[in-house]
Formats: sequence, structure tokens, C-alpha cells
Amino acid sequence: MGEVVVLAVSAVLLAGFYAAMAYGLGLIYGVLRIVNLAHGGIIMASAYVTWQLFDRFAIDPFLAIPIVLVVFFGIGVGIYLGLVRFLPRGPAGAVQSLLLLFGVWLVIRNVAYLLYSGNEQVIHTSYATSSVRILGGSFSAIRFAVFAVAIVALLALHLLLTRTYLGKAIRAVAQNPASCTLAGINVERIYVFTFGLGTALAGLAGVLASTLFAFNPSFGASELLKSFVIIVLGGLGSILGIAAGALVLAFAEVFAVYAVPPYLTTAVGFVLLVIVLVLRPGGLFGQRVLR
Amino acid sequence: MSRLRFLLAFGAALVALWIAPLVLPLGDYTHNVVGLTFMFMAVALAWNWLGGYVGQISFGHAAMFGVGGFVAARIMLSSGLPFSAAWLLGGLAAGLFGVLWGHPTLRLRGPYFSIATIGVGEATRLVATYWSGFTGGSSGLSLPLAGNPTKYQLYWYGLYLLGAAVLISYGLARSRIGLGLSAIKEDVEAAGDAGVNPTLYQDVVLFLSGTMVGICGGFYASYQAFIDPQDMFSFDRSIGLILMAAIGGIGTVLGPVWGAVVFVIIQEFLLATFSELYLGLYGALLILIILFEPLGLTGLVQRLRRLPRRPAIPVTASGTAITADRRTP
Repeated sequence: MGEVVVLAVSAVLLAGFYAAMAYGLGLIYGVLRIVNLAHGGIIMASAYVTWQLFDRFAIDPFLAIPIVLVVFFGIGVGIYLGLVRFLPRGPAGAVQSLLLLFGVWLVIRNVAYLLYSGNEQVIHTSYATSSVRILGGSFSAIRFAVFAVAIVALLALHLLLTRTYLGKAIRAVAQNPASCTLAGINVERIYVFTFGLGTALAGLAGVLASTLFAFNPSFGASELLKSFVIIVLGGLGSILGIAAGALVLAFAEVFAVYAVPPYLTTAVGFVLLVIVLVLRPGGLFGQRVLR
Repeated sequence: MSRLRFLLAFGAALVALWIAPLVLPLGDYTHNVVGLTFMFMAVALAWNWLGGYVGQISFGHAAMFGVGGFVAARIMLSSGLPFSAAWLLGGLAAGLFGVLWGHPTLRLRGPYFSIATIGVGEATRLVATYWSGFTGGSSGLSLPLAGNPTKYQLYWYGLYLLGAAVLISYGLARSRIGLGLSAIKEDVEAAGDAGVNPTLYQDVVLFLSGTMVGICGGFYASYQAFIDPQDMFSFDRSIGLILMAAIGGIGTVLGPVWGAVVFVIIQEFLLATFSELYLGLYGALLILIILFEPLGLTGLVQRLRRLPRRPAIPVTASGTAITADRRTP
């Protein structure tokens, strides 16, 4: 019984990180109808940026978050204005944007290889080994910090989307860009902002990931996949959908230790995805549009 | 191109390529590379049946390549069957494996399907790497020399594979099935209403595509005489397929053939000197193609052909062969 509780706590902590990781992908998809295949690459790049800030300027990863958010918001705006903007909207653009952003991912990976080689990097903070004892288990303190940051970020985002004029405009564009133009919303500007925001969120996920895992330039592929599984599981409806999707995935992965060998935990998410898509094509909670 | 003209051109090209090494002084190296290029052409065409004709971009075709290669290698190692039978059985295994994962995932459209295939590819690679009883794990499998064709002979087998792939490409594109596939690509629900069964059509195309890719995996195993899971199932292999098709023109009938030529040239000549730049090069190529000429070389040729007669027609969204349904699950 004790073991189950420990695993459950572990899963909840993991779910926080997963939710933060998935939201950037979900936001961009919800508003622009584009799957940001560079998502994993952005997470990886942000982990490297965090590591460099820590290594060269001794900036703590958690204090580096504002810097990383600003930097990656800028990068996202750059990718949108430089590349994504030129793609046709709608169905014709969907596959093109996929390949285009996949190309961006490859380029980011190559830059990371050139700059930092393929070796694994780890961030050794002074508190990396401190742990918290709770419910009969011992958990790394960092995991709680990551969880807290993720929850704060999600709440902030939720407030932005539901309580501000800008958020209202974003949700309106997600529903019907044409009517928004009529209502005087600058749709293109909303697209730029959303792409920047989604990229900044991927950047945040990269900071959090860099404190939890070792990373190399190939890092990010399974993060992309998991983010995707989560938005499919939870639908793009709300913060609650994302949180639920993240919880389902985290619990499935953590409790899979009883059923499959450890190297297959990555495959768990995929199997879950297929099962859900077969049984409930609309996602577990069935909402498709960011509202 | 009328059917007769196509068949004549096809026959002439086949004969010319068949006798070319007998009359032309190609070095050993060129001869072998051309043989391997034939295989890449066949794989790229097979990818295009699903990625181009149906518009379902697969990032996981390496899975079928690997399954085909390893099943063929196992059969060659454990039984006295001739290598061609081993390739075919490997191909069938790969095709069935394709349908196994494709049947549930092909109901997804566009980006959703693509990301699911990344999962398929990764999961297959993981299982293959750890299932050392079958794949030899990280140390791989060496094929027996006896009964295995030499690289010199493989040139012609590569040519046969390419010939088969070209015929199927043409046949699929110009037949009733091809019309059904474009209907599915444009609008799944409308296609269903018009009496095209999207599930059946897509399963059949994935089976064909997987079988061809699997047979090519067997060919590759014979060519290398040694295979390991990390190479056969690698994500880079799937990327290569997409790139070949994208360079030549996704959705065009024969574009991937030319894409494969460019791909092999890049790989053999440029990357030998700049090996640390290959991902970036692939990425940059993909970006440039999508931004400037979504139909790749084929689009470029079409554009050049149009020039003398009338002012160039800009390639717009509706003019591209790449479309996908916005609808998601």
C-alpha cells in the first residue's frame, strides 16, 4: 500500500511538469491550427540556455525563468514572422507547417550539436540532492519546486486567457478568425503573440526539464510525443482538460512499472494514445476547440 | 502522359538501366551506389503512396524498413530459403505490421496521424533494440555470405524493385483507387459519402507501402551484410524518406525518384566532408522547399515549363499537391 501511495505522489508531481510542457503545444494548435513540431527542439534549446546561464553566469535555473521566457517569446515571434507567416492557412497549410517546423527542429538540433557536442549535460545545483520526506516516501525537493512553478504558470495562463481582453481576443480568434477581423481584432497580431507565448511555454518546460533530467541535442522527441498525447487525451478545451490529460499520462507511466520493463515507459504514452483514439476519437473529455 | 507513352518510356528506361553496367565503364563504387539508389527510389515512392497520394505524412516508415530487414535476415540465417523469398516474407511481415498500427491510427488526419507515427517509430525502435533474441540487440546481425547476392548482382535486384515501385506508383495514381485516394486526401467525410471506404483504402495503401519498404529493408540487409536495430529503425531513416519525397515533390507520381537521387548525392558527396552538418542541412532544405516550392523538383520543372507560354502562375495553396484535412479526431 505504501508503495502505491509513493508512486501516486510521484505521478502527481510528474503530471505538473507534463501539463506545463503540453500547454504550449496545445495553445498554438488551438489558435493557429498548427502542430508545432519544433516544440521538442525548443524544450531542448531552452534546457541548454538554462544550463549556459547556470554554468557561465551562475544564475539559478529557477531564477532564470523570466530570462528564458523573454528569450523564447522572442524566438517564437521570430519563427512566426520569418517562416510560419508565409504558409497557406487552413487544410493546405497543415501538412506544410508540419514539415516546415520539423525542418526548424532539425536545424535547432544541429546547432546544439555544433555548439555543445552530443554529450549529456546535467545541471548540478547546490540543492539538487536535497529531498523531502512525505507520505512514507522520499522525493527530490526539485520535483516539488517544478510542480509549484508549473501550477503557477498554468494558473497565470488561465487568468490571462479568461480575465484579460487579450485572452478574450485569443479565444475568439481560436473560434473564428474571420469574424474577429470584422470585430476589429488584429488577427495576425494575435497569431504572432500566441506563437510567441506557446514557444515561451515550451521554453519554461525546457527550464523545468533541465533541472530534472540529463539532456543532449536529441532530447525533446519524447517530450513532443507526450505533450501531444496529453492534448489528445485532455482535449484542447481548458486548463482542466490539460491537467486531466497530464494526470492520466503520468499515472499510466508511473504505474506501468508493474507491467512492463522500464525502457518501455516511453511506449506507454503511445499505447494509451492509440487506445483512446480507438475508443474515443474526440479525446477523453471531448472538447476540441480552445474556448 | 498517356498510358502508352508511359509504358514505352518505362520499358526503354528499364532496358537502358539494365544493360548500362554491362556496356559503360562504371567503377565498382558508382555501380554499387547506383544499385543502392534504386532501392532508395523504391522506398521513397512507397512512402509517397501514403504521404503523397493520401496526404498522411508518416514519420515512422523506418519501422517497416527495420521489420522487413530483420525478418528477412532471420529467415536467411535460419532456413535454406533463397534470399528473394526471404525479402518477400520480410516485406509481407512489414506490410502486416504496418496495418497493425495503421488500422487504428489512420483514422487520424494530418498532424495527428503524423505525430502518432513518431510514436510508432520510437516504440518499434525501443522494442527492437531491447529484443536482442531476435535483432541481436546493439551488436546486430551478420548475414551469411553463402546464398547472399553480391553488391554487384544487387544492382539488378535494386532495379527490379524500382521497376515494381514505379509501376505501382503509376497504377495507383491513374486508377480508380487513385481517385479514391485523392478524394480521401481532400475530404475524408465527403469521400465516405461518395462510396469510398477510407479505412479500407488507407489500410490497403499502407499495406502496399509497408510491404515495399519491408522488401527494400531485406535488400538493404543483403547489401550491407550486417544490420543493427539502431541503424535500421533510426528516426533519421524516416526523416530521409520524407526528405526524398519532399525534394522530388510530395504527392507527385515520380517526383520521389528524383528526390532520392538528390538525397544520395547529398549523402555520398556533401556529407562525407561535412558530416556534422547533416541534420541542419536536411532541416534547411525542408524549410526552403516548403517555403518556396512545396512540390519540390517536380514543381520547379512545371514552373519552368510554363514560363515560355504564359506568365508564371504563382503556386498557391490550392495549386499544391499537399493538403490535409483540418478536421481532427
